[in-house]
Amino acid sequence: MAHIIEINNVTKTYGKHRGVDDISFAVEEGDIFAFLGPNGAGKSTAIRSMLGMLQYEGNIRILGMDARTQKTEILKEVGYMPSESMFYPTMKVKDVICFAADMHKKDCSEEAVRLCETLQVDTGKKIQELSLGNRKKVSIVCAMQHQPKLLILDEPTSGLDPLMQDSFFRLLQEANKKGTTCFLSSHVLSEVKKYCRNAAIIKEGKILKVDTVENLSRTNLRMVKVWKDGREEHFTHDGPISALIHKLSAMEPEDVLIEEPSLEEIFMQYYD
Amino acid sequence: MTLLKQEWKMNFKSLLIWTLCVGICCSGCILMFESLEDSMAEMGQMFAEMGSFSAAFGMDKMSIATLTGFYATEISIIFLLGGAMFAAMTGAVLLSKEEEGHTMEFLHTMPVSRSYIYLWKYVTLLLLIMVFNVVCIGLDVVAYVAIGEEITMAEFVEYHLLALVMQIEIGSICYLISAVCRHKQIGLALGIAVLFYVMDIMCNIMPDLEFLKYFTPYYYANAAQIYSGGDSRMGLMFLGLAVTVVVVILGGVVYHKRDMSA
Repeated sequence: MAHIIEINNVTKTYGKHRGVDDISFAVEEGDIFAFLGPNGAGKSTAIRSMLGMLQYEGNIRILGMDARTQKTEILKEVGYMPSESMFYPTMKVKDVICFAADMHKKDCSEEAVRLCETLQVDTGKKIQELSLGNRKKVSIVCAMQHQPKLLILDEPTSGLDPLMQDSFFRLLQEANKKGTTCFLSSHVLSEVKKYCRNAAIIKEGKILKVDTVENLSRTNLRMVKVWKDGREEHFTHDGPISALIHKLSAMEPEDVLIEEPSLEEIFMQYYD
Repeated sequence: MTLLKQEWKMNFKSLLIWTLCVGICCSGCILMFESLEDSMAEMGQMFAEMGSFSAAFGMDKMSIATLTGFYATEISIIFLLGGAMFAAMTGAVLLSKEEEGHTMEFLHTMPVSRSYIYLWKYVTLLLLIMVFNVVCIGLDVVAYVAIGEEITMAEFVEYHLLALVMQIEIGSICYLISAVCRHKQIGLALGIAVLFYVMDIMCNIMPDLEFLKYFTPYYYANAAQIYSGGDSRMGLMFLGLAVTVVVVILGGVVYHKRDMSA
């Protein structure tokens, strides 16, 4: 399958500060790809480099085009939703949506109406009257109304209530079924496990792992609970099971419970 | 064009306020002149004999006792300062407001190049300055007609053309600042507009500081000089135009290359 995003040896520094350090990964066409990492790991720097907002070393190709020299062509086929979702405060929602459509030189009115109805966006309000969640909804409409080939979403569900998160992911899955590739950065691991097929984990500007979400969830890590002399002890074991069995037999426990860790616990290992 | 329409809408209120304030002040002064004419004759004589002070405001060249003199020495200052401040403030805000207001990510992920954004915002600046000038000049003409005075057309046109070039030069310098800075530098922009005016006064008063005429655009747009038929300052206007071209290109290069903060 063709790669819709290819990032090769990309480095970005802000003076002495690190942004991202020699990162490389690729996203396949039609994928829903998660970009995971703690705050300050370099997720937004990587995304902004992809969108041509930052100067960087290395190569980024999006939709087969060079992100440095063919930025305008790329952005015609990309829908982007920033984490902060800020718009011109004195403008009305409908004017913001219309402005975004005009900049794409497309009549997106039908799709915009559908998205606004699904997300219950009040288009008559001014941006300054909206909460973060409602600004996020406007941002979703602006990112999706021109039916892009690639959606880049930076923490898309932060600020959305659970009902809207559900509606948003339904829209995302619909678009994905129609062929849109989705690249989203997120902290919410439950939604990554539920909706994403592949993921990359970034920490301190470096990519730690790129794999399927299923493989990332599969691990030798075990959460162990041991009872001995009326006391309960917890520990984690990462390594061959035979080593755990040796360790447990040496402890001579009264009872033992060995569990697979949750996705959150697995990712916490990478985050720590 | 979409960006021009958008910026026009966003700057319309500011344009309206500045245009009406400056335009009404200038035309109001023209309308008031008739009632002030008697006292102006005495005052004009007094002002003309105040040495450096008279030179600073061009009153050594023209008498404020006549409407033309009053227009060239007093009303022109309101218009030049008001216009320069409006141009400076507008120029300083157009690009940097995107980063300060965190709307940069929205605008810069539209399928347009940075050059497109830079150029159309500059076109907006030019349009706003031109509309400001057209309305203010229109109000002046209405006031002249209302009091039945004749406009000395050649000088009037030359002065307003030079004032337009001056405003564009100051607006462009501040547009460069806007391309470089991440925050709106309104204070700095207004400071620049006033500093250039002070430089003009200083080089009119002190012969040792005459070299300042190469730095301040107020010098070539000096209405008293134009109306009194003094030496042409067109050379300095062309220098001003050259500065405008250089700062606009420089701003474009910087804006094209620099990182955008969210």
